[in-house]
Amino acid sequence: MTIAAVASLSVVRLSSSTRNPAYSSFITATPRNFRFPKDSRSLSLVRVSSTHKIRLSPYIVRCSATQDAELKSTIDKVVNSEKVVLFMKGNKDFPQCGFSNTVVQILKSLNVPFQTFDILENNVLRQGLKEYSSWPTFPQLYIDGEFFGGCDITLEAYQNGDLQECLEKAMCS
Amino acid sequence: MRKMSSKATNLLQPRASRIKQKLENALEASILELDDVSYKHAGHAGVKDGANETHFNLKVVSSKFDGQNLVKRHRMIYDLLGDELQSGLHAISIVAKTPKEVGGK
Repeated sequence: MTIAAVASLSVVRLSSSTRNPAYSSFITATPRNFRFPKDSRSLSLVRVSSTHKIRLSPYIVRCSATQDAELKSTIDKVVNSEKVVLFMKGNKDFPQCGFSNTVVQILKSLNVPFQTFDILENNVLRQGLKEYSSWPTFPQLYIDGEFFGGCDITLEAYQNGDLQECLEKAMCS
Repeated sequence: MRKMSSKATNLLQPRASRIKQKLENALEASILELDDVSYKHAGHAGVKDGANETHFNLKVVSSKFDGQNLVKRHRMIYDLLGDELQSGLHAISIVAKTPKEVGGK
């Protein structure tokens, strides 16, 4: 599943998009679809003051505080879009990292439905998630909108039964 | 001048030594085992070719982890290793226990 297409998501309309259609052209949220900016040009202006806008065709870039808030808002919605969300290297069918694969195999063995996002496809998402989760590495597992842990924590929780308990609670809620 | 030279010396130490030093100083660990397993991850997606000291296994036992859940313990360690994570440390597998949990005092 690519970041550009996520099934069964509700409409997300970023409030700034109504004021700035060009900005919304690269952070848009349409029914059943999230799209993150693919390049970091928009984030290269963190040094720009809040009163200054720079037009980079086809993007209009706002101040970094607004971008951060919108990225956070979008990530908020993504982590709450499914009960179990895994940010990983690769995807559930083709993990590209042993740690990510471990978490995928654990979740598959527990027969829980889960959504994966490939952070190798999008550096904006990769860096944004590190800040959002206050966690510098991947994979990152979210259960019911809450950060659960990386590979080590997920493995230990699986071995002592805490993961199964947490998943059951999430599925029932 | 002495401070500058000791800082420069620090940077010349292998990453493993720097990590051990930082964790020992901050966590007062009773057990600290650090293994460089970068060779197992050569060619890993997202890791530059030929990089070493990129992946480590860490076991640390410290009373500072008392009352902390696993996420908090790992965050404590990641916070201490912030500089290393910015400068090439790619991943670290962490086992963080309290002395009680390993059957110690």
